[in-house]
Amino acid sequence: MEFEPKILGIACNWCTYTGADLAGTTRLKYPQNLRVVRVMCSSRINPSFIFRAFQLGADGVLVGGCHPGDCHYNTGNLYARRRLAVTKKILEFSGIEPSRFRVEWISASEGNKFAEVVTEFTSHVKSLGPQTKFKIKE
Amino acid sequence: MTNFKHIEENLKKEAKKLLEAGSVAVVLAYTEGMDEKHPQPFAAQSVADADKIIFNEYCNHNLARYIIRYAPGTKIALAVKAADSRAVVVLIQEEKIKREDLILLGIPADGMKNSKTDEIIDAKTTGGLANPVIYDILLGEEIHTGKPVSPYTVLEQYEKMDKDARFAFWKEQFDKCIRCYACRKACPMCYCDPCFIDQSKPRWAVKSPQSHGNLMYHLTRFQHLAGRCIDCGECTRACPVDIPLYLFHKFVAKECEEMFQQAAGMKIDDKPVMVDFRVEDSDKILE
Ligand code: SF4
Ligand code: SF4
Repeated sequence: MEFEPKILGIACNWCTYTGADLAGTTRLKYPQNLRVVRVMCSSRINPSFIFRAFQLGADGVLVGGCHPGDCHYNTGNLYARRRLAVTKKILEFSGIEPSRFRVEWISASEGNKFAEVVTEFTSHVKSLGPQTKFKIKE
Repeated sequence: MTNFKHIEENLKKEAKKLLEAGSVAVVLAYTEGMDEKHPQPFAAQSVADADKIIFNEYCNHNLARYIIRYAPGTKIALAVKAADSRAVVVLIQEEKIKREDLILLGIPADGMKNSKTDEIIDAKTTGGLANPVIYDILLGEEIHTGKPVSPYTVLEQYEKMDKDARFAFWKEQFDKCIRCYACRKACPMCYCDPCFIDQSKPRWAVKSPQSHGNLMYHLTRFQHLAGRCIDCGECTRACPVDIPLYLFHKFVAKECEEMFQQAAGMKIDDKPVMVDFRVEDSDKILE
């Protein structure tokens, strides 16, 4: 059977989540590997969520937020950008493939971009194979 | 080489003066421990106490660790070596202490020694600075050692490693961890109450020392110290099972310096990079 990655999506309420809705209402097709959790802002994302997701079996984690400058709370995503950049470096130095973690800015009107990103990221994670390094073994 | 006896005398003298005049409630310094190699942190509160102060090449504790034990507004004098002074700067930036409540007794020191290995502590395991970045009274001659050595050269061999080998390396290291939290206790920047690892709602990781819980503890701790760790190396020296935590902290510090052009604890007016942003920060940092 072909490997179907489990991907955690964390999307901000105002942009990316609404963009995902738009992708849905426009009947765009994208892989079903993504499970989306909605947060109010990308700066709500505690970096430990990402470590934890990998431990609990995610093969990839995709974070979506408003474009810099468009944050509903003005500056949330600017803090998130710095914070999550550090998270990515930590993943890199710990020896897991850092490209399993991606941050994308997707606005409420970019249903197309949402579908494209999910499609592209899913196929990328698929090519990396299952994530076993962080996954807690039963 | 630093004249440790000379510094000890000056430290005693200044501590006495300050305590006698009542300008501080406490002087944080060092006193004798079980032997010469194991001096202890010491809070001198009277002139008589000041006589017990010592200083030698094994006085590695970062005394900035103890500042937060005192009620806000307490006047504190403390002995600071280079890295310790940077820790003080971060604590001031983070509004844990006010500059005017502190009297910093600066100690320029090279040739400090690790009491476990007896090796000289230098830029391989710490920031490698010799002089404090801020002080009120300097207890010895400033040290000019010529060209400063980058504290990050030691990382090269680990960065070159293939990622699977690096994962195996860290797994082996983190698996040794017995979760005694000495690293956290020694760190001047680890003052959160409660620490995320002690929380039960949510519980981020198992409390017993298991692979996955250890990984969660350490990765999150590295994240929480990003842009704040001042590379004193105390966490590593405190660790009973010799996990080279300094390597990871150095790596994060180096990346932060490259991304945000600022090293931790160098200037009081800087804002720690993780509670700051620039509109022009590039999306490249996320690649
Ligand atoms: S993490 Fe370690 S090196 Fe960094 S400030 Fe804390 S004790 Fe010092
Ligand atoms: S000091 Fe060492 S053994 Fe103790 S919790 Fe820290 S890393 Fe683990």
